[in-house]
Amino acid sequence: MKTPLALLNLTHEKTRLLVAIAGVAFAVLLVFMNLGFLGALAKSASQIYSQFDADVFLLSPQTLEISTNKAFPRERLYQAAGFAGVERTMPIYAGYGQWRNPETRKNRSIFVFGINPDDPVFLDPEFRSPQNLDALRRPDTTLIDRLSRPEFGSQQAGTITELERRRVTVGGQYVLGGGFAADGTLLMSDQNFRRFFDPFPLNLISVGLIKLQPESDPDRVAAALAAALPKDVIVLTKPQIVDRERTYWISTTSIGFIFGLGVTISCIVGVIIVYQILYTDIADHMKQYATLKAMGYRSGFLVQTVIQEAIILAVLGYIPGFIISLGLYELTRSATAGGLPIGMEWERALFVLLLTLSMCILSAVISVRKVVLADPAEVF
Amino acid sequence: MTRIASSTAVQIRQLSYFFGQGDLRKQVLYDIDLDLPRGQIVIMTGPSGSGKTTLLTLIGALRTVQQGSLQVLDQEIVGLSRAALVTVRRNIGFIFQAHNLFESLTASQNVEMAVELLDRWGDKRQKAVQMLSQLGLADRVDYKPSALSGGQKQRVAIARALVNQPALVLADEPTAALDKQSGREVVTLMQELAKSQGKTILMVTHDNRILDVADRIITLVDGRLETDESLAS
Ligand SMILES: Nc1ncnc2c1ncn2[C@@H]1O[C@H](COP(=O)(O)OP(=O)(O)O)[C@@H](O)[C@H]1O
Ligand SMILES: [Mg+2]
Repeated sequence: MKTPLALLNLTHEKTRLLVAIAGVAFAVLLVFMNLGFLGALAKSASQIYSQFDADVFLLSPQTLEISTNKAFPRERLYQAAGFAGVERTMPIYAGYGQWRNPETRKNRSIFVFGINPDDPVFLDPEFRSPQNLDALRRPDTTLIDRLSRPEFGSQQAGTITELERRRVTVGGQYVLGGGFAADGTLLMSDQNFRRFFDPFPLNLISVGLIKLQPESDPDRVAAALAAALPKDVIVLTKPQIVDRERTYWISTTSIGFIFGLGVTISCIVGVIIVYQILYTDIADHMKQYATLKAMGYRSGFLVQTVIQEAIILAVLGYIPGFIISLGLYELTRSATAGGLPIGMEWERALFVLLLTLSMCILSAVISVRKVVLADPAEVF
Repeated sequence: MTRIASSTAVQIRQLSYFFGQGDLRKQVLYDIDLDLPRGQIVIMTGPSGSGKTTLLTLIGALRTVQQGSLQVLDQEIVGLSRAALVTVRRNIGFIFQAHNLFESLTASQNVEMAVELLDRWGDKRQKAVQMLSQLGLADRVDYKPSALSGGQKQRVAIARALVNQPALVLADEPTAALDKQSGREVVTLMQELAKSQGKTILMVTHDNRILDVADRIITLVDGRLETDESLAS
């Protein structure tokens, strides 16, 4: 076996090695957290749509994402109901309301969905438990999302508080998650929704859900609807609306830019740390490297050695960075009571590993110029 | 390409060398003519700044020859590419004033780095240990340089220079950093190895006490060969 010069040089200076590993681990951690939040954002943006029992969606073209929606005529949904392949259409009303924490009596914005209690809007059967169906039909009663932040107070059925300065009773719970748009959500009947958000005309809806017959093709029906309906609505299939929501959050808002910037800065920090370490290491071994050149080693060997050092640093820094990130993801999930679906994905783990390797190799390439230019004649 | 080894290890004709450019251009070597026969131990002395190191680095293919002709081990090195110069260097053993060992490697590993140049990895450890033993370091092969004395470190450096059996050894003040006794020991070991293997050695030294190991002593003054004296052995 060849003498593992890179490894031995690195492990010889224990303190420097630890600093380098900590530096790389820190950069890896920052990248993982940024990408984790970004991923959670994309996931929570689409989360709500994946829970609707619908294949095609109607939106106003002015709706940016679900929580900043513009209402459109309910008439469009009736028109859609007549199309071939459509099994059922269901309106959704949605908007923010002020929820008073029953314990602290502090108000906080909560996102409210209004549905027709007869419509099977959600896939999860919990929404239609006898207790929940019963509660949906009672006046001034709402269901509350278990994933709502604790700041909203008790979720216990029977809790009485105020929504939009109007008395409301908690009738039951469900699991949905508000993602980045909302800290908490409520679900109530369209009749109750109209009462709380008075004046709110029920002939204007926020989202139109269209459930298709099992054998019909969502793309084809969506295309037919888009061609026939007036231009005050857009028609999207499930993957399209998920993508639209995700694009809004990531590209249109500055959130994607901020996290992207976070990743970039983390990488720059990593490159600088690794560069510092490699450069110092090279400077310390300049005479030895020049001697190797005098002996007949080619510059390529020295470049290879420095790149090996970089790869070792990348791997040794990645491992603790990865493990700590797993812990912080867990911490984030529990701090948001599961509301922020942040988690490790193997694609991300692989991407960050490759990013770390490129980061370290880039540092190596910058710092190695010094060795390549080393003049063996100057050693004498 | 086969080459018949001639009896001359180094042949220098009308070699001049300049440092710097333009107005700052300064000549440090003037029309050197010198032949080093194979197997000879040559000591080069001369005042500081006379060009000894420069001449050594030219012979060692570490600098590009500007003027004149220089044949090293029967190869004209004037006009060779960088890559070809590296190949020439693999047949030369270099010993410097500083040992330049990797502190992170053991004595044996430092020597093995030289053996690996020949792409022979199977018996590299054995060769390194054998070489170190010949230099009296059998019980120190697995020590890092920090655990060795100055003389021992320089002997490891010599082992590294000699382990590949180079036909030519170039040494620049190899005893300068050593005390009297270790300096003497190191030079005697070099002499014994060179004699037993028929190597050519060109050694720069100011150390008068070690002149007796030489077959020949040359003196460089202000970039010119001043004296060239063969010693009866
Ligand atoms: N890299 C260099 N650039 C410019 N001048 C140099 C350089 N190296 C040596 N010199 C000059 O060349 C002359 C010969 O130097 P050197 O060969 O080191 O002498 P010696 O080894 O005999 O002491 C000196 O005057 C020195 O200042
Ligand atoms: Mg000198």
